[in-house]
Amino acid sequence: MTTGKNSSFVFVVDDDAAIRSSLKFLIGTVGLQVETFESTESFLKRDLPDGVSCLILDVRLQGRSGLDFQHELAARGIHIPIIFITGHGDIPMSVRAMKGGAIEFLTKPFRDQDLLDAISVAMDKDRARREQERDVKEAQGRFDSLSPREQEVISLVVSGMLNKQIADALGTAENTVKVHRSRAMEKMQAQSLADLVRMIEKLKDRAGKAL
Amino acid sequence: MSEKKAAAIKPERYVAQRTAELASRRSAEEDLRSSEENYRLLVETASDAIVSIDDKGSIVFANPAIATVFGYDPTELIGKPLTCLMPEYMRELHEGGFTRYLATGQRHINWQGTELTALRKNGEEFPVEISFGELTRDGHKIFTGFLRDISKRKQAEVALRTAMDERTRISAFREEIGIALSRQEDLKGILHNCAGAVVRHLDAAFARIWTIGCEGRELELQASAGKYTRLDGSHSRIPVGQHKIGLIAQERRPHLTNDVQNDPGVSDKDWARRENMVAFAGYPLVLEDRLVGVIGMFSQKPLSENTVEALSFAAGIIAQGIERKRTEDALRRSEAFLAEGQRLGQIGSYSWRVATDEIKWSNELYRIYEFEPGVPVTLELIRTRVHPQDLSLYETMVQNARNGGHNFECQFRLLMPDRSIKYMHAVAQATRDQGGQLEYIAVIQDVTERRLSEEALERSRSELAQVSKLTNMGEMAASIAHEVNQPLTAVTNNGNACLRLLANHNLEPEVLRRVLEEIVADGTRASAVIARIRAFLKKAPVEQSELDVNEVISEALALAGHEIQNRGVVAECRLTKTLPRIRADRIQLQQVLLNLIMNGVEAMTGVTDRPHILWIHSGLEESGDVLVEVRDSGTGLGSEADRLFTPFFTTKTKGMGMGLSISRSLVEAHGGRLWASSNAPHGATFSFTLPVAAEGLS
Repeated sequence: MTTGKNSSFVFVVDDDAAIRSSLKFLIGTVGLQVETFESTESFLKRDLPDGVSCLILDVRLQGRSGLDFQHELAARGIHIPIIFITGHGDIPMSVRAMKGGAIEFLTKPFRDQDLLDAISVAMDKDRARREQERDVKEAQGRFDSLSPREQEVISLVVSGMLNKQIADALGTAENTVKVHRSRAMEKMQAQSLADLVRMIEKLKDRAGKAL
Repeated sequence: MSEKKAAAIKPERYVAQRTAELASRRSAEEDLRSSEENYRLLVETASDAIVSIDDKGSIVFANPAIATVFGYDPTELIGKPLTCLMPEYMRELHEGGFTRYLATGQRHINWQGTELTALRKNGEEFPVEISFGELTRDGHKIFTGFLRDISKRKQAEVALRTAMDERTRISAFREEIGIALSRQEDLKGILHNCAGAVVRHLDAAFARIWTIGCEGRELELQASAGKYTRLDGSHSRIPVGQHKIGLIAQERRPHLTNDVQNDPGVSDKDWARRENMVAFAGYPLVLEDRLVGVIGMFSQKPLSENTVEALSFAAGIIAQGIERKRTEDALRRSEAFLAEGQRLGQIGSYSWRVATDEIKWSNELYRIYEFEPGVPVTLELIRTRVHPQDLSLYETMVQNARNGGHNFECQFRLLMPDRSIKYMHAVAQATRDQGGQLEYIAVIQDVTERRLSEEALERSRSELAQVSKLTNMGEMAASIAHEVNQPLTAVTNNGNACLRLLANHNLEPEVLRRVLEEIVADGTRASAVIARIRAFLKKAPVEQSELDVNEVISEALALAGHEIQNRGVVAECRLTKTLPRIRADRIQLQQVLLNLIMNGVEAMTGVTDRPHILWIHSGLEESGDVLVEVRDSGTGLGSEADRLFTPFFTTKTKGMGMGLSISRSLVEAHGGRLWASSNAPHGATFSFTLPVAAEGLS
């Protein structure tokens, strides 16, 4: 993991050195850190920073298509926003890219502002995604700190059961359920039942995706 | 008949009679003795038999000639009845007549020169001519008759009559053969009638006619009449040189015999004996040294000279008949072929005598023009079918044909009553008839179907070319776009970055220098890409061949035909014929022409105030190079004429800007030049030259 004062990064993958160089110069003028790669392989070797970032990807690369690489990244669970640039784009190509979640599809030569706007959108999106991911991660950490009994009780609580019902289901006293429940709420740092439900739902979401 | 005969032989008989009368008169006179001497001399030396009988009918005298005529000795007849000299069936008749005469004086026959049948001693009957008279001596009537053997004369008469009959028959035969040969029948029918005539008039048992076939190696039986009529028997095919018929054909000599049963040429003698065949006559049918067949006949009677002569005559005219028939059939067949060919090919023919305007049409032409067959054809009638837009062409053609006397060829359209259009292609040849009058012989072909299918073909070809052109262009464009866009993008990016830094007063000279270096490098790189494309085009495998540039123009026009029509452009060609051939790659030359044509067409797309005309002209430049010009009435070159050939320069909204650049490269690769010039008042002309092929110069 690389750390720096500004952890925002723009990555560029293009097999043309002139493009790489000029993009680095252009994007650098707005104060963003730019790292360029001549191939997708060299990009994958790089440990991605834990900061907001996006990828500018040439569609036509030597050896492989940028569109295929987009799918590969998704499959690897790498959710970096992608801006495609191409020398000769057509509609089917752009449709495919956008369906795959691309931020923008720019035809070379493009207007500098279009590219910078796209980068901005991509960074915002990545930032939002990272924040959400961080929230989920924290919630997971808290959930993991619960005792098995507390986790059990919490799961039944968010499913809408009353304490009495939970006590019946688990074969314990209603008061015992109450104790587990309030301790779990505390550990989860949930302000309300609604807050707790939201947190657990996010965790379930993530678990679902991982499945 | 006997009257006539009697008259015919009167002088002879008269002498004998008068002599006899004179003799008898003299005997009554003084000089009886010498008379009697004379009489006896006469009677004894006469060649006719002289017999005297008494009124009982008994012979009292017979002269010596009786021996030669009747075979009796004169003395053995004395005392015998006259009837012994006549056949039995006549005796009663004679006796009746004789008795009646004696009683009544009535003669039952003419006494002078009557022809009767007599009986020789050996029992042979023969014709005699009898004259007799009576005289009375001593109260008794004596009858003396002169009997002349006329069997020779009779034979001659019969022969004469037979000959006359034969002549009649033969002239009837000739007549029938003549009729048979002139009948409108097929060859077999004609020859059958001829063979029948031989049987009927020449006493043939049967007669057959073969014709030569199978390239002169075989005789084919065409007709058989009389006793045998089958045509598919063993004699239906006879190889030339085999059997008597084949030998007649080979040697071209007739074979005649009146002794069939001993003739070495007749193979089946048992058959001949069984059928009582006596004579055979076979003649080759020869016409001007050419064998056309054989005629043969068998007869149960000997052949007379007349028969042979008639058969020989018949052979001659039958040969002519066969040949004429064959010629007629061939003519009819070729006429039928012609008609069928015309029908199948939808080709009509006509002749036109210019002086009289006499026009003759073939049936097919009536069909094409949809006129009632047989309607008299006039130029005026034809005119009613000519498409209104082609009328001036038609009239010019007629006028030129009247004046010129040259062959001509033209295409025109017909407008049929149902408003359908037919495309005609006419080729006319000028000839002079025997009188030296100008006459055109022409064929007109209905090329509508061909024309329509050609149009359909051109359309699909042009669409196909369009597709493949687009595919190629698309691929090439994608490749060029990528290659050229890379440096262009880099230049743009760098330039934009500089502008941003400049705006922020943050552009350090060192940075600027480095970036400008990059910009220059990228610009150079972009132009290197173009140079590489041009080099590629130059190096592209070319298949140079000798071409007629006009052909390539036509092909390019066909390829662009659809587009030209769709955009309402009229293409007008002024192509110089007899241009020397050029050496070029056909496809590349087509591409150049297609490019210039499409440019011209597209340049006129927005023009609304004048016709969209694309002129294409081919000719020879002063330098000897072939020159092609493509001129449009479009928007013209404007101020940008000098940039036209710069790669990626385009005035079109959807254009690569590569067409003219590539075209120029292609033309230059062929050793030619390509340039543009403005037209006054409108449009542009793109011209290119190509050097003439080496052989084209000579």
